[in-house]
Amino acid sequence: MSSYLCGLDIGGTFTDCVLMDENGQITIAKAPSTPSNFAEGVIEAISRAAAKIGKDLPQLLDAISVLAHGTTVGTNTIIQRRGAKVGLITTKGHNDVIHIMRGSRGLSGQDIKLIVHIPESSKPEPLIPKRLIRGVSERVDCFGKIVVDLNEDEARQAIIELRDAGCEALAICTLWSFLEPKHEKRIKELAQELAPELYVTCSSELAPKWGEYERTTAVALNAYIGPVTVGYVTRLDKQLKATGLKPPLQITQCAGGTITVRKAQEAPLLTLDSGPVAGVTGSVFLGTLMETPNIITTDLGGTSFDVGVIHNAAPIVTYKSLVHQYEYFLPKVDVHTLGTGGGSKVRVDKATRSLRVGPDSAGADPGPVCYGRGGTVPTTTDADLVLGYLDPDNYAGGTMKLDHAAAAAALQKLADEIGMDLYEFASGVATIAEFQMADLIRKMTVTKGLDPREFVVYAFGGAGPVHMGVAARELGVAKVIVPQGDTAAVWCAFGAASADILHVDEQVSIMSSPFELAKVNAMLENLHDKGRAHLTEDGVDASRHQFRFSIDMRHRGQINEVEVNLDSGVLDQAGLEQLRERFVARYEQLYGRGAALRGARLEMVTFRCRASATSLKPKLVAAKELTDVIAADAQTGTRDIYWAEWKKLAPTPIFNGYKLKPGNAIVGPCVVETTTTSMVVHPNQRIAVDALGNFLIDPNWV
Amino acid sequence: MPRISEMTDVDFNGIENPYVPPKELRISPKLRLHKQWDENVDPVTYEVVRHNLWQINEEHGATIQRLSGSPVAMYALDLNPSILTEDAEFVYFGPYMQYMSGVTDTQVKWTMEFRSDNPGINEGDMFIANDPWVGAAHQQDVMLLCPVFWEGELFCWVTNCLHQYDIGGITPGSFCPSAESVYEEGIMLPPLKIIENYEIRRDIEAVYLRASRKPQLVALDFRAQVAGNTTARDRVLELIKRYGASTVKGVMKRVIDNSEKSYLEKMARLPDGEWHDRTYIEACRPGDRRTHRVVLGMRKEGTKLTFFNDGSAPQEGAMNATYSGWRGSIMVAINELLCWDQYFACGGALRHVEFDPTPGTLNCANFPASVSTAPIQSMEISLYPAYNVISKMIYPDAELRRDIMCIGGTSQWPATLFRGIDQWGERYGYLLVDPIGGAIGAFSMADGINTGGQARTPICQLPNIEHTEQSFPVLFLYRKELPDSGGAGQYRGGLSAESCFIPHNTDFITQDTLSSGNATPTSPGMMGGYPSTTNAYTFLRETNIFESIQQRTMPGDTSEISGREEVLQLRQENFQQHAADVYAVRWTGGGGFGDPFDRAPADIEKDLEDYAITPEAARSIYGAVLDTQGNVDIEATAAERARIRRSRLNGGAGKTRAGELVFQASPLLDARRDGQGNYWACGKCSADLGPLNDNYKHHCIREDNPVSSSNPLIGDPARYIDDAVSFRQFFCTGCGALIDNEIAVSSDGLLHDVVPALSMCE
Repeated sequence: MSSYLCGLDIGGTFTDCVLMDENGQITIAKAPSTPSNFAEGVIEAISRAAAKIGKDLPQLLDAISVLAHGTTVGTNTIIQRRGAKVGLITTKGHNDVIHIMRGSRGLSGQDIKLIVHIPESSKPEPLIPKRLIRGVSERVDCFGKIVVDLNEDEARQAIIELRDAGCEALAICTLWSFLEPKHEKRIKELAQELAPELYVTCSSELAPKWGEYERTTAVALNAYIGPVTVGYVTRLDKQLKATGLKPPLQITQCAGGTITVRKAQEAPLLTLDSGPVAGVTGSVFLGTLMETPNIITTDLGGTSFDVGVIHNAAPIVTYKSLVHQYEYFLPKVDVHTLGTGGGSKVRVDKATRSLRVGPDSAGADPGPVCYGRGGTVPTTTDADLVLGYLDPDNYAGGTMKLDHAAAAAALQKLADEIGMDLYEFASGVATIAEFQMADLIRKMTVTKGLDPREFVVYAFGGAGPVHMGVAARELGVAKVIVPQGDTAAVWCAFGAASADILHVDEQVSIMSSPFELAKVNAMLENLHDKGRAHLTEDGVDASRHQFRFSIDMRHRGQINEVEVNLDSGVLDQAGLEQLRERFVARYEQLYGRGAALRGARLEMVTFRCRASATSLKPKLVAAKELTDVIAADAQTGTRDIYWAEWKKLAPTPIFNGYKLKPGNAIVGPCVVETTTTSMVVHPNQRIAVDALGNFLIDPNWV
Repeated sequence: MPRISEMTDVDFNGIENPYVPPKELRISPKLRLHKQWDENVDPVTYEVVRHNLWQINEEHGATIQRLSGSPVAMYALDLNPSILTEDAEFVYFGPYMQYMSGVTDTQVKWTMEFRSDNPGINEGDMFIANDPWVGAAHQQDVMLLCPVFWEGELFCWVTNCLHQYDIGGITPGSFCPSAESVYEEGIMLPPLKIIENYEIRRDIEAVYLRASRKPQLVALDFRAQVAGNTTARDRVLELIKRYGASTVKGVMKRVIDNSEKSYLEKMARLPDGEWHDRTYIEACRPGDRRTHRVVLGMRKEGTKLTFFNDGSAPQEGAMNATYSGWRGSIMVAINELLCWDQYFACGGALRHVEFDPTPGTLNCANFPASVSTAPIQSMEISLYPAYNVISKMIYPDAELRRDIMCIGGTSQWPATLFRGIDQWGERYGYLLVDPIGGAIGAFSMADGINTGGQARTPICQLPNIEHTEQSFPVLFLYRKELPDSGGAGQYRGGLSAESCFIPHNTDFITQDTLSSGNATPTSPGMMGGYPSTTNAYTFLRETNIFESIQQRTMPGDTSEISGREEVLQLRQENFQQHAADVYAVRWTGGGGFGDPFDRAPADIEKDLEDYAITPEAARSIYGAVLDTQGNVDIEATAAERARIRRSRLNGGAGKTRAGELVFQASPLLDARRDGQGNYWACGKCSADLGPLNDNYKHHCIREDNPVSSSNPLIGDPARYIDDAVSFRQFFCTGCGALIDNEIAVSSDGLLHDVVPALSMCE
């Protein structure tokens, strides 16, 4: 009997399920999400997939070898502000850490309008109100030495007060606990004794990092989404087991791999934003198959544009993240979002004869004017329709009719205001949106010392392939890849299925050069042990364990740190000396030649171990034969499309993507349509189908 | 004393007198300017290139941030990159330290006038500059100016400014509270070619670094500045190659023209007139117990704005700023209140703004006055009145009203300058950055933002306590927001905070104070709003803190610690903090907006729940009546407020006067007109408050109280200054509602804050 990899993605509306058998055969099923009990939607989606391959649910569950799942429960809990009532216990005198928010509005790198127009901005609603925060007498100093012993009476009283105030979860974060966790651990013990019904989380376990604001935010968020996520994961796990599923459920996490149910219960924060991250993970896998180790992953949907970067087959990660203006510590694949999507609103200013696109979006409802749901402000999608990129009668696989006339009228009105021709105007809207996308990609590559010309772009999301050709041309990127057929639409689920089990452990110890080898090795060894224990607990055989080590270093006295990778978890004297060279090399890669001050004293700050176990990988079947003969019925017709390059409308061939075969190639202009997207191939560009069935757009063919 | 515009025989060349750029720059013919541009760039290219220019400036700032080492620069984000046209008009100016805006264009213009002939301005050059008479805020703000050439012509400038950790002077860190002149302060460099033909001039760099106590950090920062300019220059050149020089220049000019259009359109909606504000600096040198008056005036005539500082105190001691510092402060307010929608592209507005201060005053000091403290004293104190006068000017327009912002926190910086041997056995000197956490003042339709940072540096971040404790030998007992620290009002000012620490892992700490606004509130609130707390140092010697540590009962406030209290003066030098000495510093919060009696009971209740105000303040300032559970009794509160308002009338009743609205000057103050002429009227009850050409305050019921009654956290001014300070309130003669407050040294006359143009008064 064959076995299956199963990937799941539970979205706000639909739950996607991807099955892949040992031959690489892919089966996709969708079922409505069931927010009251997500497990029902999951089971339904799996059942539908089972039906597609002629099995019943128990039969399929029996044959699944890996079941991986990305969840948005945590993310939604935060967006909808439906989290638990959380109490916080911290060091006395430091109760206000998460209210002070480091004296900022948490807007760095955010919408520039909120930064410059202060009356429009505010701090977010606090995660924990002041009346549910208790300080207790205790203190550790910067050497990790206990200065004030924990006052257990105060701790007990605090726990009881918070419990009696109706808290459902308790977050614990004391100063310097990442060096000396004794007090946090004791408070946790007391809480488990006095209030066993509370969900308890402490910072030294979740995020043992330097900086009390971001650490406290991490535990506060973890506690906030804890009860809901734990309830969900536990319920789902139980229900799946009851239906006959054998392998343990794996849950995708934001650092790029998967974790077990147990870990997700302990650190639900790891699941935050894991959806978009799973797309990046899927890209790593596909990139390996296609021998493209450097990838810019893009996902352009109705309201947002997400970008991740993969360099040398590893996703670029960040160790500090932002949700709703709250900054927190957690290793996470760095996915940046821009509010530019198909729904970005178009505006003109008559007085200055200028045209702006976004950053605000019409969303899905009312959405673009052409949706006919009452939207009156034209959007990028309206421009796409007017330009001919989209087929009004065959949008989203024909499930939705677009109102071309309404879109044209709305755009014409704005074009008139600044004295432009309709098509010139619509094409301008597309160009501006495309340049904004190119800018974000630039920010995530060039400013990190990476050259976009050495990358390919993966275009996901319905609107991505419409625009990515131009953005890629702007960046000098060699190739845009639209992942194969239907899989592109369920990419996150696919990413979940291809993810490794991953645990990232971090420990801070600030050491100045000259470094003591024994101390450095002791730190690494401790992390190695932790990682090994996690994998063993997950039931992973020692032969599959993999460990990667790194240290964040900086010039002494500087604030910015640079991650330096190690070859192994044990350094010798030569390896230690090599670290300085690597630091300088990495630093100058990031900040330019000559930026590092050679001879300056260095500091080690954070030590890190990534413990992983390679999961079974999906296989994809390459076509045995490539053909350059395009089937006669592949071209479905022609449509007048406006090409900015020619400054005119031109009859353009339209192709059905499903009828094109591996090896087929078409020089633009043309549009290739599938049920989920339109691939717009500009003049002087070329689209081809590769052996795996992916579409490749060459942005600079001629 | 005459204003600059009246001194026609003086050469304002940046040497003895401040540099005031002439209308036409005197540039050597050796320097050819790129003057061709496309006036008709299509809207799409315009938007794409505009966006790129913005991004270039942002990448410039990000590069400096990543590379700079100094904690003051990085946490306080005391830096700013900009792009200027070939003739030094602002295209973009970053969202970092806004003070630096006023000092950037002047330095570029000076360099073009005085360096274009000798040593010449050529491709591959950069100029270092920090002379406050040419145009730095203070000596620590070192600028690097980079001309960008295209085909042999000067196309534009990219520049940056970055606060340096130490560039010499008598006090480590180069803020010199006891200096009497610039000769005791850090190195001063008029624009100097430090990069020539793409190479650092080592000899000049050596001179620059030689003055510093931390040459390695300054060297790192210098490289960050070079990298920032290089990045920006290269990207501008890429843009030119892609779109053509005349297109890129055309976009730059249009960015400025568009910002000008937006500014003009706003001005057209507002009444003409003059607006005035007044505040004070305390202690200009160690031992000084006087107040030094700071006055700001702004006249609007059509689309032209003129700023002046008539009546400000003479320069003295170490509290001063130069012309460019004062101008920079006002430009912060112009940027944030009038040009935010142009993302601070203030070049267009500046075409219509004149700065006309009086040289020899504390905020337009002549050479060689001490100016190293300018950004935390004279400039800060010049900034906030600028918020007030511009806010009062734009209030009459219902849409622009939404942009109003009251004075925010840290309106004078209570500096904690400390030094000694750290826990690693090394020498250190530091300025505690905590007050950067500030607060944002109240808006005209919402509360301010608690510890929301500083409006003048919109994206700063204060260090974690764990960061500070790692670098310096201190143990923080607490850092907390303070109830009542925000000014009361219909909309409350943001709360500020207090930091408290003891020495740790060191024998002792040597400290200096440097502050103002400890006696006289400098975040006074607006249009009936109340002031925030003042700055405050609390210093307790030989306390029982070690007993608390032993007994595991840590204090949550200095009031829970017993020790010998020493009142620190505002420029007290070289005092030592020993192991059991507890030091705390509190900074000013945000001013409030509108009459506190108009604050909704639900908001008061929420404030009580969030510890934003105390029950005492709810009762005494907001007129709230609390029930036994501490909830606000809505009906009783309404009755109590009415009773208090009635009692202010003292049995009298002002006469009401029906007329039509000319403009609304503040929530409760209307300019109206009827058959007899134009007059002030209460917006609530229509009582006549006097003719429009008179100060309405003369026609209100006036009540003078000690300044301590305006905020529960403001103490007795006599601890720091000899002048008495009053909290003056002006009530409507008809209904007793609060029209406005003012804080004044008791011997000062009434402030005439709103003076409509004569044409309005007829």
